[in-house]
Amino acid sequence: MNACAGIFAVSCSGEQPKEARTLQRERQLNQFLAGVERRALRFAEIAVRDRDEALDLVQDAMIKLARNYSGRPEEEWTPLFYRILQNGIRDWHRRQMVRNRVMVWFGRSSAPEDDYDPVAQAPDPMGRTPDEQIESTEAMQTLERAVAELPARQREAFMLRTFEGLDVAGTATAMGCSEGSVKTHYSRAVHTLREVLGEHWQ
Amino acid sequence: MKKPLDEKELTTQAKTLFDDSVERLDAATLSRLNQGRQKALQETRDPGSAGEWARWVPAGGLAAAAVVAVVVWQGVPVEQSAPAAGTATDFEIMLSEDSLDMLEDLEFYSWIDTAGTEPSGDVG
Repeated sequence: MNACAGIFAVSCSGEQPKEARTLQRERQLNQFLAGVERRALRFAEIAVRDRDEALDLVQDAMIKLARNYSGRPEEEWTPLFYRILQNGIRDWHRRQMVRNRVMVWFGRSSAPEDDYDPVAQAPDPMGRTPDEQIESTEAMQTLERAVAELPARQREAFMLRTFEGLDVAGTATAMGCSEGSVKTHYSRAVHTLREVLGEHWQ
Repeated sequence: MKKPLDEKELTTQAKTLFDDSVERLDAATLSRLNQGRQKALQETRDPGSAGEWARWVPAGGLAAAAVVAVVVWQGVPVEQSAPAAGTATDFEIMLSEDSLDMLEDLEFYSWIDTAGTEPSGDVG
């Protein structure tokens, strides 16, 4: 029986060897992940308010994408990656809730630190003055706090649409909901943030 | 009172700040991201190699939670229910027929108790 017969006819005809295809796929995936990893980290960091936890979440998302979806068309990777990351963030919040309940039961508080400041110590690559850096850092902290206080689904919709620039369809895929829900969550998030941040940013 | 930002202004400013914070990530963090990416890429060459042990983390967590639950479940009620159990046992003893017989011979037992505490010379 000819190996290239039947359903394999298309994939076998005039194609590169498997090894070359794997290498090419790996290169594409590397390029994709390198392009998305920094933003994904900050995305997760705003959601969980902890850099180490965010790094773990991003790494898990990258591994799951490579393991389960690297064979999917490249244009699907972005919403798929953010969907995996979102699921990881939700699981993280669920675990935190259980942990907090247990800690309260044992009479200990595990509330996050209020003085969390992920970027304050980082050097400024844009060569701005310390005053400008402080101003930008403070504005970002205000934004992070306001975004973090949004209900989870509103936060996801706002961050995916605004920070990642996903369209409504891509955001719906990433959030695992309908496009109508995305519009509703996003609209409510914007409404809240306009009021909260209007006080600080004008 | 200041008026709320309009949507365009809000999203533009938020995106600028977010992009700025992405650019300011430190070298150590970028290095860890790179390591994570290399592990993920390893998955395309050798599926299942990265984080194989991590698949057992949820099971381990459940097992640990079960142990904690058992310890808590068994630990707390023991302290609270011990007096209740003792009281119930006392009632059972008091209401048993033997105990009622004992009440009838109360004078006899009282005499034994008194005799037992007196010096042995007085008894004999």
